[in-house]
Amino acid sequence: MLFVNSMIRIALTNRIKLEVRDKGPYWKANKMTFFTLSMYSNHLLLKITSTKFVCFIFLFSCLALETLAQEGNLVVGEVRDKATGEAVPGANVYWEYAPQKGTVTGSGGEFRIKVEELPRFLVISFMGYAQIKREIVEKDLDKPLKFFLSPDEMSLDEVVVSDRRPDSNVVSLELGKTTVPITQLKNIPALFGEVDLLRGLQLLPGVNTAGEGTTGLFIRGGSADQNLVQIDGAPIFNPSHFFGFFSVFNPDALDDVQLYKGHIPANYGGRLSSLVDISLKEGNTQRVKGEGGIGSISSRVTVDGPLFSDKSSFVLSGRRTYADVFLAFSPNENIRNNQLYFYDLSGKLMWRIKDKDKLTFSSYYGADYLGLSEQFGLGWNNWISSLNWNRTINEQLYLDVTAYHSYYNYLISFNDEDTGFRWNNDFSESGIRGQLTYLHSEQTQIHTGLHSQVYHFSPLNLNPNAGSSIEPISTNPRTGWQNNIFLNVDHEFSPTLSVEAGIRLSQYQQIGRGVNYLYEGDDPNTGNIIDTLSYSFGENMASYYGLEPRLAARYLLGEGLSLKGAYNRNFQYIQIATNSSAGLPIDRWVPAGRYIEPIRSDQYSLGVFKNLFNNQYEFSLEGYYKDFDRIIDLRQGANVLFNDNVETEMLAGKGWAYGVEWMLRKNVGNTTGWISYTWSRVFRQIPGINEDEPFNPRFDRPHDVSVVLNHKINERVEVSGTFIYTTGVAVTFPVGSYRVDNQRVPLYGPRRNEDRFPDYHRMDLSVNLKNKDKGRWWRGSWNFSIYNVYNRKNPFSYQFADIYNNDITASPGSGEEITSVRPGVIMTYLFGILPAVTYNFEF
Amino acid sequence: MQKTILYIVIAILGLSSCQEEVRLDLKNQEIIPVIEAVWTDRASLNKVEITYTRNYYDTLDNPIEENAMVYITDLENGERIDFRFVDRLGYYLPINNASGNVGNRYRLEVIIGDQRYHSEGELLEPPVFDSLTYAFEPGRVFREEGYYVRMYGKIPFQDNNFYRVKVVKNDTLMNRRGDYLLFDDTFGGGILENGFELGGFTFQKNDRVKVEIYRMEKAPYDYLNQLVNLLFNDGGLFSPPPENPKSNLEADNGVGQVTGYFIVSSMISESVQIMGEEEP
Repeated sequence: MLFVNSMIRIALTNRIKLEVRDKGPYWKANKMTFFTLSMYSNHLLLKITSTKFVCFIFLFSCLALETLAQEGNLVVGEVRDKATGEAVPGANVYWEYAPQKGTVTGSGGEFRIKVEELPRFLVISFMGYAQIKREIVEKDLDKPLKFFLSPDEMSLDEVVVSDRRPDSNVVSLELGKTTVPITQLKNIPALFGEVDLLRGLQLLPGVNTAGEGTTGLFIRGGSADQNLVQIDGAPIFNPSHFFGFFSVFNPDALDDVQLYKGHIPANYGGRLSSLVDISLKEGNTQRVKGEGGIGSISSRVTVDGPLFSDKSSFVLSGRRTYADVFLAFSPNENIRNNQLYFYDLSGKLMWRIKDKDKLTFSSYYGADYLGLSEQFGLGWNNWISSLNWNRTINEQLYLDVTAYHSYYNYLISFNDEDTGFRWNNDFSESGIRGQLTYLHSEQTQIHTGLHSQVYHFSPLNLNPNAGSSIEPISTNPRTGWQNNIFLNVDHEFSPTLSVEAGIRLSQYQQIGRGVNYLYEGDDPNTGNIIDTLSYSFGENMASYYGLEPRLAARYLLGEGLSLKGAYNRNFQYIQIATNSSAGLPIDRWVPAGRYIEPIRSDQYSLGVFKNLFNNQYEFSLEGYYKDFDRIIDLRQGANVLFNDNVETEMLAGKGWAYGVEWMLRKNVGNTTGWISYTWSRVFRQIPGINEDEPFNPRFDRPHDVSVVLNHKINERVEVSGTFIYTTGVAVTFPVGSYRVDNQRVPLYGPRRNEDRFPDYHRMDLSVNLKNKDKGRWWRGSWNFSIYNVYNRKNPFSYQFADIYNNDITASPGSGEEITSVRPGVIMTYLFGILPAVTYNFEF
Repeated sequence: MQKTILYIVIAILGLSSCQEEVRLDLKNQEIIPVIEAVWTDRASLNKVEITYTRNYYDTLDNPIEENAMVYITDLENGERIDFRFVDRLGYYLPINNASGNVGNRYRLEVIIGDQRYHSEGELLEPPVFDSLTYAFEPGRVFREEGYYVRMYGKIPFQDNNFYRVKVVKNDTLMNRRGDYLLFDDTFGGGILENGFELGGFTFQKNDRVKVEIYRMEKAPYDYLNQLVNLLFNDGGLFSPPPENPKSNLEADNGVGQVTGYFIVSSMISESVQIMGEEEP
């Protein structure tokens, strides 16, 4: 009895070491080599115990081994922990046919076991780990065998060490914030089997899409450029690959994703509608490990481990598509010469300098390229770096400093004798952010800090090739310098009432080098330039400031039930000048300046939060109202790309959005997932558009239902499914047609977006099949997924055009004789039923 | 371009993207007049055509307005040029084959029943159009094998550089949506001096090619540009919300809707016949 208890102790010790390492306040405990764990109903008690007793058990085990290893053919091997690579002492090793004649592993995890006849099944078991059964054959006698025990995932669930309390949904001050565990994200069936962070977020309430085939997020009435998507504190300008089909994040490289769409604490700012805060995974400090996958369109691999000692670690991650590899096999030369790929690389280094300081450096580089027969090329890159320093000044005071640089560029080249050119542009944001956290008491926490950032939009250059008849174009650079100071106080007035009050002051300047055009009557709408002012480096061209109060309160109404409210004001100083709904690699960002004012939002939200069945189910009901001011749109036929007077093409107005989000979520157990329903409306009112009356932008989709479910059938098989139902996007259909200039033209009414696409709905399914764990170092799994299971033809676009010869592919220029012409509507849909398979592995 | 790239991406990815014809329930709007008025320095080009819009799915011809009062006033000298409806042609022609003078400003008035519409424009001086040349080009990725024509000339103006090029092949005007050739001075004014190739048009031996250059003010140019954008708008994610091109015609007192254009333009043309491998 004593023996068994001791083994439990060791087993759980190993487990706890794995879980608590690097988790902040707990890490010191790790230095004590052993713990005692006791289990009372569902709770675990952790107590530091003397090491002498455990040493005795090791000694006992070794002696036992010696007595067993006396004669006969021996199978020799060792048993290690798969996760940490450390030896597992005290594990049971026995032949399946004779469980009573077993042995236990020694302090180095080694064992020797006698055998009379082979093949036989050898069983390795240990508390807290999944049992291994492997067939041993004659040739195995020649070499020492290695067995890797995997933590038993059933018991893992009960020893989860998390920074999130089980009742956090109810008691925290978080309102309109969702954390998506990467493991859950990886289970969601994905387009082409490519697990995609942004597509996963689109399944959350309050997050809309403008259509299939785009990863853009439209959150609580905000457009896609109103989301601050940041990786380890550095913003990313274009978080998509392949024109928005995929997002730039390799899921294996990610640690955590948090979406703030309601209350954004004063520590953060810069965008109106959301913060998507992504942390890259840190490497483990025990041994080199890896994971990856081979998918239908791309493969990925991630390796992590200790760097020089257990005080530092690295992680490196890469992913590349291979559509172009297949293109090379095409018999058609035109297709063979095309190129289409993306890849991304990311890495993170961590150093723990003594006990109080931690330094991390993260970098991400992603590139896309589309090349057509060496004549046309379009490529774009994101490169982001971030250096973070955490210091524990004392037990109450923490310092967090991040310096970052985010760079984006694109290049379009066209090789033609007469009109060839190279067109490129780049822009960047660099910044430094320092934050002090003061834990005044259990009731009061204070965060304060500074954030300084520089946005630089380089001149947009179009350089003709030699001999080209077109002339070069270059716009002027635009630079913005923004400084922010923030203070956030979190105070618990009583066990029932908590309040978070914050203030953020942002000060922004457009600075030189640059040019300001002066227009007739100081009105850029006239387009008549009366003077041009040039500014030298660093000279102030225009300035704005914004005071951004943030307030949130939580009131506990009873056991597992709370009411929360928040008010948030945000300013945003850079935005994309576009009038299409999807983001493009060549989108033009414009910073605030003399004529373009910063945009502002005010959001009021209120929510009821309830946990049910011992915190197994989380229920939330949130409502919000949001005002937008100085929102921009473009005038009809606007040209913003090569225009140095981009302000002449813009119209500014206001917007508002409101909605109710209902969600039931289950995070623990064999079945996890959520069901959500959102009812929301979005309006814009911009003089010069829609007869100056309010209109709905394309992404106004009043009803939105998402169901995301994952069920673990057994240790090896998991099934997942998603179902989405949303109102169709708001669009404008013709109300007639006419002939002008020999063309048949659809006639539109004076109002924008008063028609709807049909409702969008789709179901995706996937099965994840883990290969049998034979205790080897490699562990594989297969993921089979089906996108759009019932082959719903969700429209991507409608084209209003003449149909010739009753055939949508016929056209007058095709040489075919035209016998009939009539007006018609042609629908394009992107994805029918689409199966995909991915092989994932870990080592 | 954006959509072309999108479809290429989809095609390369081998996606199951598909198209099919559907019937959508569309609203109908009351009909409004469509006025196409062209006033140039060439009498043969001047005309005013007035039709009406119709429901989207209608297959009948658009109704023609035959009883409007149409006239143009020369704002330099006050001279009024009346137009008369010609049954045979289905549009209005100026009396006495009148034409405009370069440098003058003109005002169009159209009266239908008790509703009046008007617009104004200046007849701008044409650019220099010296010659057309042609050369045989082997097939390339983005274009077919055949003869390509190049225009030579000079744009000597600082302002109002808004041009439309019309190509007439063997007496047939090239008028598909892809045949519109509109250019301004965004990419410089030197485009004709270096020889401007009509890259979108392939010709064969013995083709007769006529190229017309129209110089106009910004408003009608914008109309044509927006018209082309609309003809290529597929209502998808990558397209701006579709809107009617902004007409430069207005109803008097702002009452009553109208669409169409009043193009006041000079026209200059050159012709060439493609004879052999290289131009002599």
